[in-house]
Amino acid sequence: MTVGLLMLAGGAAAGVFGSLLGLGGGILIVPMLTLGFGRDLREAVGVSLVCVIVTSSAAAGVYLERRVANLRLGMALELFTAIGALVGGLVAFVLSEEVLAGLFAALLVYVAVSMLRPRVARAADGPTDTGGATAAPFGLDLSGPGYRVRNLGRGAVGSLGAGVVSALLGIGGGLVKVPVMHLGMGVPLRVATATSNLMIGITASASAVIYLLRGEIDPYVAGPTAIGVFLGASAGSRVAHRVDLRLLRVLFVVVLLYTAVQMIRRAMGLSV
Amino acid sequence: MTGGASTLRGHEGDTADPLDRVLARLLTGGTWLAVGLLTLGVVALLAAGRSPLEGGPPLDLGSPPWAALPRPEGFLWPGLAVVIATPAVRVAVSLVGYLRRDERVMALVASSTLGIIALSIALAVATEG
Repeated sequence: MTVGLLMLAGGAAAGVFGSLLGLGGGILIVPMLTLGFGRDLREAVGVSLVCVIVTSSAAAGVYLERRVANLRLGMALELFTAIGALVGGLVAFVLSEEVLAGLFAALLVYVAVSMLRPRVARAADGPTDTGGATAAPFGLDLSGPGYRVRNLGRGAVGSLGAGVVSALLGIGGGLVKVPVMHLGMGVPLRVATATSNLMIGITASASAVIYLLRGEIDPYVAGPTAIGVFLGASAGSRVAHRVDLRLLRVLFVVVLLYTAVQMIRRAMGLSV
Repeated sequence: MTGGASTLRGHEGDTADPLDRVLARLLTGGTWLAVGLLTLGVVALLAAGRSPLEGGPPLDLGSPPWAALPRPEGFLWPGLAVVIATPAVRVAVSLVGYLRRDERVMALVASSTLGIIALSIALAVATEG
């Protein structure tokens, strides 16, 4: 019973941190389950994908109701994230645990460095393009009120990559999709974030189904973790405006770098 | 800065598109159903004094979900299925919506995405264990 409650609490902590820092919980769930509870890395990725779907579906429902998410853009791009996730989900079973741990460590370092240099946040209102004609491929107009979507090809390639990364490492892929949409396609940051959330469900489920059917998702681990993440993310979104995010960001970077070191040790076959 | 507040808020404040509204309710309802089932499973797991580290039983596609009730997996497997299926159901409902509006390109996009999900399932089954 104690382990179950600890898993619930760990999931909640991941959900709170993820929600406060806009990262989603996946980046923390995989290290928590592997380094904290000794689970297999592939199993942790499968469980993390389930958690990511739960939180993104809840958030996407709210974003759609409020008309912040761009449904048509999300649906067009999620076709490519789904293809990427299918490929990533199959490749994940070919790669060794050490290689996956090394890739995850690289992801952690990338996120830590990105958090110290939050370029996307500072560029929040920058590249929005409200004018100029852009030919809509196949008559597909994906633009929204006040902004024009451009470079659909760049978005497709970025989404494909986001899907592969998501399936390999158990994250939502928003780290890739939001900058691609915002900086590369001229979508306002708020809309890009909401649309990314909408896409995460399909991205993660395309690979989660592979993990599920190949027996890599343990219901006894996924249940407490997913409920914890859901509760934590809900709580985090309610208190976000009262928290000093600068201090939290520094603390989070330290945690990420420490976790990256542990993952590198795992990748090198050293005990952790 | 271009666009102003209305740009950054997307469509917020406008009357929601009926399809957006249906999908929003579907996602919210699916999430709550999944969370409810998973919560019952976690309560059953904790009440039974079992540790998640013992490892749960494998997914048995040959028996109905209720066959395992009231054991934890009787709630957990259906909960996980709802979690994973909810986004695909959202795309299926979008497909119906776009077909009704005669938006053929969007309908093609939605059906292609569903095709990828179906391919994922087929490949997972084909390469299982």
